[in-house]
Parts: sequence; C-alpha cells; structure tokens
Amino acid sequence: METILSINQLSKRYGRIQAVNQLSLEVTKGQVFGILGPNGSGKTTTLSMVLDLVRPDNGTFEWFEEIPTKESRKRIGAVIETPNFFPYLSARKNLEIVAKVKGYDYNDIDHSLEVAGLFDRRHDKFRTYSFGMKQRLAVASALLNQPEVMILDEPTNGLDPQGIAQVRELILQVAKEGITIILASHLLDEVQKICDHVAVLNKGNCLFAEEVHEVLASSDCIELAAEDNQALKEAIENHPGFKSLTETDGIIMAVFSDNNPPGKVNDYLQQKGITLTHLSERKRTLEQHFLELLKDNPS
Amino acid sequence: MKLITIELKKIQSYRTFWIIFGLYFGFLALGIIMAEFMVNAMVDDVNKRLPIPLPHAVLFNFPDIWQNLTFFASIRYVLIFPAIVIIILTTNEFSYKTVRQNVVNGMSRNEFIFAKLQIVLLLTLVITFILTLVMFILGLIHSDSQSLTMMFDKFRFVFGFFVQMLTFLCFAFFVGFIFRHTGLAIALFTLYVLIIEPVIYFVFRAPFMWENTIYTYLPVNSVVRVVEYPAIPALERLMDFQLQGEVTLLSCAIPILYSVVMIAIVYWSFNRKDL
Repeated sequence: METILSINQLSKRYGRIQAVNQLSLEVTKGQVFGILGPNGSGKTTTLSMVLDLVRPDNGTFEWFEEIPTKESRKRIGAVIETPNFFPYLSARKNLEIVAKVKGYDYNDIDHSLEVAGLFDRRHDKFRTYSFGMKQRLAVASALLNQPEVMILDEPTNGLDPQGIAQVRELILQVAKEGITIILASHLLDEVQKICDHVAVLNKGNCLFAEEVHEVLASSDCIELAAEDNQALKEAIENHPGFKSLTETDGIIMAVFSDNNPPGKVNDYLQQKGITLTHLSERKRTLEQHFLELLKDNPS
Repeated sequence: MKLITIELKKIQSYRTFWIIFGLYFGFLALGIIMAEFMVNAMVDDVNKRLPIPLPHAVLFNFPDIWQNLTFFASIRYVLIFPAIVIIILTTNEFSYKTVRQNVVNGMSRNEFIFAKLQIVLLLTLVITFILTLVMFILGLIHSDSQSLTMMFDKFRFVFGFFVQMLTFLCFAFFVGFIFRHTGLAIALFTLYVLIIEPVIYFVFRAPFMWENTIYTYLPVNSVVRVVEYPAIPALERLMDFQLQGEVTLLSCAIPILYSVVMIAIVYWSFNRKDL
C-alpha cells in the first residue's frame, strides 16, 4: 500500500510542556485515520507540524513518500482548529483564494459549495454564517479539487446535533470516494463511527495505533452479578489478570487481561465460593479501551 | 503575478481598506488647501510690517508643484494612513488565522512575505501614480505655458516621494509582522511615529545640538527628510530654514537601508516562528 503520511519520532516542546513526544505514525492510502485524544494531548500540534505551521524540535515526516514541500501540501485539503477565512469576504471569494493558492482554476468551487450545502449562501459574507455553516465551509475548502488526503481537526467541535450529523455524513461520503482522511478528535464516538484506523494520544505520547475493528473485537469485558456484589468485587479485584471494574445498577463490568475468557473467570469465582447470577461477554467499546489506556498510562 | 492576484482578492471588497485609502487623499487635499491658506495668512500678517512685502506662496506652479505636493503627501501625519492600511492587511492574516490557511494550502512562508511586499510596492506605485497625475493636472491649470524642461525640472521629488512611501510602508509591514495584533501594532506604530521620535528630537535638540546626528538617522525622520521642505520662499524668511533644492541620494539611502534590515528581520523571524 502506498504510504500517504509517515511520521518518525516527531517531538515538540512548549516551555515545560512536552506537547508531542517522539511520535511515530503511518497512514496509508484509503484509510480513514482517527487521531484520538483528550484536549491538550498533542493532536493539533502534530497536525500543525506535518502541515509546516509549527516547527518540530526533533523528528521527521514524509508526505507521499517524499520530503515535504509546499507542493505536497497542495495535494492535501486541510483545516486546522477553527475555520480560517476572511470574515468580510463571501464564501465564494474565500474559496477562490484557496483555489488560487493551490494553483487551481475556479471550476470546482461551486461543486464544493454544493456538497457542503452552502451553494445558496455562496455570495454572503463569511461573518454572517452560523457556526455550523463556517465549519461546513471549512470542509468544502478542504474538499476543493479532490485532494488526495483530507485533514480535519475536530470538525464537529461546537456544532449542534444536526450540524454534527451533517458534517459526519459529509466525511463518510468523501471517504467512500477513496480519499484518505486524517481526523483528529476528542470524541470517541466520532472516531468509532467514522474511522477505520485509530491512534490514541495522551500528553504527547502515542498509546497505541491499530485498526478500529480490532480494538472493538477484543472481548475482555465481562458483565457479572452475584447475590453479594461486594464479595464479588473483592474476588474480581484479587484476580491476577484484573484490569478495571465499574458497577452500574447492580451489574459489574470488569476488564481482565487477555486469555481470561468468561468461562475461566467463572471457574475462578466458583473456587472463591461465589455463585454468579449474571454472566455475559460484552464487546468492549473504544471508550472503555481508551479510558483503560489513560489509566494505564497516567504519565 | 499569482501572489499579487491572491493579495488583491483579499483587498477587493474590503471596505476598511478603501476607506483608509480614501482618507489619505482626503487629508492630503485638506492639508494642502489649509497650508496654502495659512502660509498666505502668515505672509499677509508679516507684510503689514515689512517695507518690501514677501511673495505669496504659490503651491501649484510648475516646477515647484512637484516639491510642494510631495512634501505635503509625505508629512508623517498623512503618511500614517497608508501605513495603517499595510499594518491592517498584515495583522488581519494573523487575527483571522488566514496566514495558517495560506501555508496549509501550499504557500511557502517566503511566498507569504513576498506577497505582502508586492502589496507594499503596488500601493506605493498606485499612490505615487495618482499623486503624479493630480500634480500634473493641477500644474497645467495653474502654470503659464512653459518648456518641458522647466515643467519637469523638479520631477526628481516624485522619485524621492516614491522612496519615502515605499520605505515607510516597509516599516509598517515590519511592525505588522512582528507584533501580529492589529490594535497593538497600530498603537505602537502611531506612538513611535507621532510621539516618540518627535520627543527624541525635542529632548536632544537644545542641550546637545545633536539634531543633525541622532535625529537625522532615526528611521521615520530619515524618511521625512527625503522631501524635507516645500518650495515656499516666504517660509525661508518666516521660519528658520534653508530651502531644499535637491533630493539627495544619501537621504534616500538611509531609509532604504532601514527597510532592507527590517525585511531581513521579518524574513528571519517569520521562517523560525510557529504560526
């Protein structure tokens, strides 16, 4: 597979804060790659570095298997943080500037505006737009002239539910056309719904990077209940493979290390003299996995 | 050509730009009308006491018009308007974060600097052209028929003015890139041009007699000095100065040198800083 972006040991420090710490990543063609992490985990800094906005302290990156230049950026459609446009210019004029910088003619502008649902308002000034429309114009500008890669940084941040749905729909539509997408988000749900690959960042460190369905497939989350939940909890916590535990409405959700299927756990508990009233295996959501990772790596 | 078309797109329907640009010519016209009126009122007043009356100021005659109008057009209070235009156009890019978007979309940082310098040059050319056209028409209206050599005798003042405008706008470009915030940049620039430098002049003038050394070489004054005085003979008697007959290469060289240094600093810092 053709490598679109490869990041090698990238680091950036802001004073006492290590924003990105020796990050290495690889995005290949056609992936919808999610960069997931809480606020301040280094997502935007990473994207800013690969787009030449922020100078890295250390490390290198390559776009399209080449040393990056301004020409490689012309093949990328990207919006970092807020939508950045001239408030006193119309959407159409703003996109004309984008097209001109990228070296395209204006033929694709109306199409992009249509895709983003802004065609009817194309001659209105950017400052008259609602937040959702601004966000959609950002996506429209990233979409201009079918880039090979689209980079979106928190594209649904601050949107109402309808706006979120519209932007997500738009991204999925683009992904279907085979455009590689790199999406930074602090919303697990979003990454889970849109992405096929995910890298989790926390405090500048990459905790793991793998395929989303693999993350979801690991099934070491078990729902348990017993007559005496207190004793059950104690027993679970003493299990050698115990990782985490939450209790809701009398049901205990426990996560064990690998190689601890429900049957094995049940055997263990019976040895401890606990009879279960409820036992089921649950597919772990990305959220649970994410929270565990954060717990394991408090750094 | 690509960079300048991008920059022009940013300006085209920007009302603030056109308003301030218009204000420059508005203030200029007002200043010239008032200056003629005031000088002549002064002359009339003095003439009551003088046996041989001083001549009235004639601003719009060839070839003096070239010197007079370029002088008024380059007074620091007037010059500040196009400078503010340049500051706003530069700092807007930082406050709207469009500089980031430009770079993300494939503009190199040097191209971004170069694009802004092209606007500086273009604005200078346009202002110089408009002013020259106005001077030419006014000169034709006010002068008796003259030989071409006579008409354009002081045309070098127009070149002097071009250097003044270009370098002053380079200062504005510098301030915009270094301070990045519109309000801060305009405030500091105005403060320096209209207050700090004149204060330096008055502080050092009397006790040290240094005005010809330090003050001459301060950036803004070095610009103002290129076309330092109007061609109004009466003023020579009323106030204490020698009429300026020439635009010297040396007086142009100092502001140009400042500009080169400032552009170099912008180039150096903009390529290192994060956006």
